[in-house]
Amino acid sequence: MTTEERQLAEMLHRITPEPPRPVTVEDIAHRVARDNGREPRRRLTARRGWAPTLAAASVVVIAAASAGVATVLTSHGTHPSGGGTPASPVSQSASSTPSSASPAQTAPGGTPMRVADGVWGAELINRQSLDQESLTGSGDSLFAFGHGSLARIDPGTGNVLRTTPYSAPLPGRPIVVGNTVWVVWSYSGGDITLRGYDTRTLAQVAAVPVPAIGGVSSTASGVLAAGPDGQLYLAAGDTVATVDPAAGRVTHRIYLTAGQASSVAVAPDGSKIYVGTGSFQLLVYDLGTGVQASSSRMPGSGGNLLATAGGVWGTTGSGMSEWVWFAPGGDLRSSFRVSQGAGGGLASLPSLSGGAVWIGGTHELVCASPATGKAMVRTAIPADQGIVRYFGSVTVLSSGRAYALYQDQRANLSGVAALTPPQACAG
Amino acid sequence: MDDRPSEPDGFRDFVEARSNALLRSGWLLTGDWPSAEDLVQTALAAAWPRWEMLTRQDAPELYVRKIMVNTFLRWRQRRWNGEIATGRLPELQAYGDAFAQIDARQALIAALDRLPARQRAVVVLRYFADQTETQTATAMGCSVGAVKAHASKALARLREAPGLAELMTGGVAS
Repeated sequence: MTTEERQLAEMLHRITPEPPRPVTVEDIAHRVARDNGREPRRRLTARRGWAPTLAAASVVVIAAASAGVATVLTSHGTHPSGGGTPASPVSQSASSTPSSASPAQTAPGGTPMRVADGVWGAELINRQSLDQESLTGSGDSLFAFGHGSLARIDPGTGNVLRTTPYSAPLPGRPIVVGNTVWVVWSYSGGDITLRGYDTRTLAQVAAVPVPAIGGVSSTASGVLAAGPDGQLYLAAGDTVATVDPAAGRVTHRIYLTAGQASSVAVAPDGSKIYVGTGSFQLLVYDLGTGVQASSSRMPGSGGNLLATAGGVWGTTGSGMSEWVWFAPGGDLRSSFRVSQGAGGGLASLPSLSGGAVWIGGTHELVCASPATGKAMVRTAIPADQGIVRYFGSVTVLSSGRAYALYQDQRANLSGVAALTPPQACAG
Repeated sequence: MDDRPSEPDGFRDFVEARSNALLRSGWLLTGDWPSAEDLVQTALAAAWPRWEMLTRQDAPELYVRKIMVNTFLRWRQRRWNGEIATGRLPELQAYGDAFAQIDARQALIAALDRLPARQRAVVVLRYFADQTETQTATAMGCSVGAVKAHASKALARLREAPGLAELMTGGVAS
């Protein structure tokens, strides 16, 4: 090779970016099946859902007598953070094609089945493995991720009504703004893409590329949030990007003073945005001016931020379990632990729905005050012959009914559970 | 009942080990990730039913690259619509140094877009995928002489591409 050829080769290797996600064997299998004239499987069984996660986890329950609770030790499931890559759909054309689940394809809802000894009236309304913490609700529908799909689920029957190819690159839930379900499609290196889907048909209606200045955080979790104004806020490297869903583009950026954004949450009144960086610093910005209002630190990891009227919530790893904490006013110096959320490789992300903050996990179901962070009701989740059960991703629909993802590894049960929380959770 | 086709032995290992490199080659050929994914998936799906034979011949990657290039050339014949790529996207200029890396990628793709498809394929195979002239010729179904000619012409064109000379002699770190 000549010098010029060597320079060209070096430049190509240096500048060509890393792909946002790998091609997987499942992608190829899907395409081979399609090319052979057969449609691939449509039933929802988790590829990166909780069932395999738990199956791979060695769960040991040790009675922690002094604390009076069970501590779960496990080979903790890791999130593909930072270089997170969703499994790609079979092709571009297929990626934008939602599937209407025919009765034959519909995962059976069947008769609701009482589970977890009926804690909070829990009834399993379907039998699906869905990605943990991916459930959210809006209007009369539930949305969740599982088996390379975003699914719309009928809360009345538990049936999957629609699916569209999607696999989450990071832990988190879909975000519903108006008639659009927004998801993080890719999140890797310097490139992020958001996609929007129609809430009824799940047809793709938007794709917004968002360059991540400085590259995405390697500890990202909970990177997308919606403000009360309907704008989307995205942790995008050294910045937080504001995305106007209507315009489908980045309209503003906040340039952080410290580190890469790993998690964002917007105050319900739209006055502040909370940004998690590094391990672990919480930055608070005035959304009106973009000026940093405060910052505080806590030891260890942090993320999965949720903002409520009284402050900000998040998770932290403690040993092999996740704890949920609350920081009044967004000041970590006065933060306190609200609930020991999950073990067994499972995560427990707080959610704000129906006027309360909900925390699931493997230990207890908690509803807490959005204003004070104080638990209003705590109910232990009974173990199944020594093996933990799990509730997560609690969401309350406009009908007033609550739903959560449920897993009982010993009984090999998983799916969406309908809950009837205690009246005290209504505040 | 699981109706997925059965997975050939060693296929998963190959995909896991090589999909990154193949996707990057696909990006250089097509200029965007969705098309690169489509290209790689097309090639791997074509390799799937022949996998046992390909591994016996110790040539799965050569075959996959050949399919990628041929598919790319076919797409270019079919899809080219007369657009002339601009040097860069105008919106990126306003953000200063933070976008230098993205600008570099844009400049590279713009320069590659100026090449005829076969010259572009030679550049990717020879200088990114580190294929020999003989391997490149095999993948493209042409002679070694033709590969040399395509490479020479491509280099001459790239030399004149805006901003590319600076990138080749240093430029922005990845």
